[in-house]
Amino acid sequence: MNGNAQKLDPIKSSETPYEKQLKLVPKKKKSKWSNYKYGILFASPWILGLLIFYAIPLFSSIYFSFTTYSILQPGEFVGLQNYKDLLSDSLFWKSVYNTVYFAVFFVPLSIIFGVALAMMLNMKVKGMAIYRTIFFLPTLVPHVALAVLWMWLLNPGFGLVNGVLNTFGIEGPAWLGSVTWSKPSLIIMSLWGIGQAVIIYLAGLGDIPEDYYDAAKVDGANWYQKMRHITLPLLTPVIFFNLVMGIIAAFQQFTLPYTLTQGQGTPANSLTFYVMYLYDNGFKFFKMGYASAMAWILFVIIMALTALVFITSKRWVHYQGK
Amino acid sequence: MSKGKKKMKFELFIFVFILSMLLAGCSSGSGSSGSGDGQTTVTFWHSLTDTTGDAAEAVIKAFEEQNPDIKIKAVYTANQGEGQNEKLLTAVSGGNPPDVAYFDRFEIGSWADQGSLEDLTELAEESGITKDTYYPFAWEEASYDGKLYGMPISTDSRLVYFNIDHFKEVGLDPNNPPETIAELEDAAEKLTIKDGKRFERIGFIPWFGQGWLYGWGWAFGGEFYDPETKTVTANDPKIVEALQWMTDFAQKYDVEDIAGFTDSQGDGAMDPFLTNQLSMKVSGPWEVSAIEKFNPDLNYGVFPMPTPNGENHTTWSGGWSVVIPKGAENKEAAWEFMKFFSGEEGQKIFSEIARDFSVIDSVNEELGYTEDPILGEFVKILPVSNNRPVMTQGSLYWNELASAVENATRGNGTPEELLENVTEKVNKELNK
Repeated sequence: MNGNAQKLDPIKSSETPYEKQLKLVPKKKKSKWSNYKYGILFASPWILGLLIFYAIPLFSSIYFSFTTYSILQPGEFVGLQNYKDLLSDSLFWKSVYNTVYFAVFFVPLSIIFGVALAMMLNMKVKGMAIYRTIFFLPTLVPHVALAVLWMWLLNPGFGLVNGVLNTFGIEGPAWLGSVTWSKPSLIIMSLWGIGQAVIIYLAGLGDIPEDYYDAAKVDGANWYQKMRHITLPLLTPVIFFNLVMGIIAAFQQFTLPYTLTQGQGTPANSLTFYVMYLYDNGFKFFKMGYASAMAWILFVIIMALTALVFITSKRWVHYQGK
Repeated sequence: MSKGKKKMKFELFIFVFILSMLLAGCSSGSGSSGSGDGQTTVTFWHSLTDTTGDAAEAVIKAFEEQNPDIKIKAVYTANQGEGQNEKLLTAVSGGNPPDVAYFDRFEIGSWADQGSLEDLTELAEESGITKDTYYPFAWEEASYDGKLYGMPISTDSRLVYFNIDHFKEVGLDPNNPPETIAELEDAAEKLTIKDGKRFERIGFIPWFGQGWLYGWGWAFGGEFYDPETKTVTANDPKIVEALQWMTDFAQKYDVEDIAGFTDSQGDGAMDPFLTNQLSMKVSGPWEVSAIEKFNPDLNYGVFPMPTPNGENHTTWSGGWSVVIPKGAENKEAAWEFMKFFSGEEGQKIFSEIARDFSVIDSVNEELGYTEDPILGEFVKILPVSNNRPVMTQGSLYWNELASAVENATRGNGTPEELLENVTEKVNKELNK
């Protein structure tokens, strides 16, 4: 422990290398292992955890996807049968449709609303800290609580949303009870929790140097031109990040619809999302092999989309100083 | 001490520390091994809360008094119901299960098929326990492939509750509730008050509450499973007829308007039957205690689920059991506890406190359930009650039937083709 304490001491640590240089350098060069030893040792719980609880299950699921593994029984090797079955499983396609529908609407909307909110929260107004807190608060609400809260808000009979619509003379739909409106309802709910993204956008906005705006002002640019030609282009690295994360999160949508429908995806499977169906197969129907196959298909889809975003990013993402 | 030695000590310390943490994480947490003083500890996983929890506690207490050498360690584990047994699932596959688990009988078929439950046939034979003690459906549901895997504990049945005041109000005779489907439809129409898209009161919603297709399919005279060929028969014309009837009902009253109504309601005190907004509802015996608790003034009665010709009324029953998961350590002691729990004595204690029906007819009689004007009706129908088919794909079949009802009533496909698809899909899995 003594040796350790010495290193932490700021005064001595500046001296020690110098001393060591004098005494130890001629002796021999330290091996790599002794340099990394402590680092690896301290990181070892994490490394072991990652290997045991992440890497091993991850890679064994590739194998399981070719078997009829049921958690309780190892099952038989069936080759590509699981993948073939999936292609003719109508509920699988339904869940793909629901998930893509959600992603296609939610991801762009979350970026538009997120950026717009961040810009508003970036204005120099009194009490901004309070506004920022208010918009961030919903992200602190656990998904299960969020589901219950919104079930009340969207309640067709006594809900606040239909109540407000009523005062404008609009008769609101049954929201979560309607096949047409259930997914839009879910998108609205999810948009409520974009505070996390807004924080990142705010950081991105703070990163844009004031000089550009000053220059634009001198050139007589209005607010729209400033936003269009300075703010948005310089915000693209952050938008890029949120786009990738948003796509991944949208495809993994689970907790909210699962809680809302008690795992049933009601009404009429309109809220059966990909991961929900995967979960049901793995843990309800003893079809972990089938579920593993689904997981790998999802992995490939997300990978492909992410790759696509990365490839196109060269055209639309502008880093400062480049 | 030299610096190098100190360093080694430190490394060793870290290594041992991490190792011990890992081992502590992996080690058996169930503590099901016997303790020093010759007492065997039996770990019992259950999902019982409130009154049922108290009932289980009373059973355990009585058992421990009679068996001082066995100690029951009851552990609450949430969500041990319809396909929600992840915790037990992982415990069994990890080789570290509890000795006894409270288990939905409906799941016994698929779990037994996976080889994850202990076969109790021999233990039952040795103890002289036979199927004659229990209701036939309860025993059948606890068995798979001719072998016994669980000891039945509780049961229920389903009837239609109706609001007597509403019946009187619209001129229906409460002493003569609907017997045929046509009479039910007629009553529903009379009782419904609809204003534009909004219902002020609905007479009846076939799929609400316990109105699963299982109940209506049997009421229409259909069969869901053929034990001979071991295949499901959801496309039975009688079941198609039942679903068609539900679909027609959905169209007549507009399913989205009904959903708007039902989604506005809640559970417990907010249940539409309790708030007088729904006049008739399919439900189980537990509704009685809810009514007592939240709306004791409600003037209500029950009648069996109507059938097309008004005869052969039936229902279906589920219920719970206790099982020994595969790999349990103290099988003998566990069996003693199960025997007691499922035996007449344990049943009397449990059923009396939990207000759940016993699986033994004489116990229900002794506890006075048969004399109760409402509960008596539920007990009376038990001997002709159906149980959901014991099969390896019980959960899948249940889910598929539920979505077939959803899709049919929402107009996504005809009942015939939907049930045809269900049959095909489930049979495909059964044949694997």
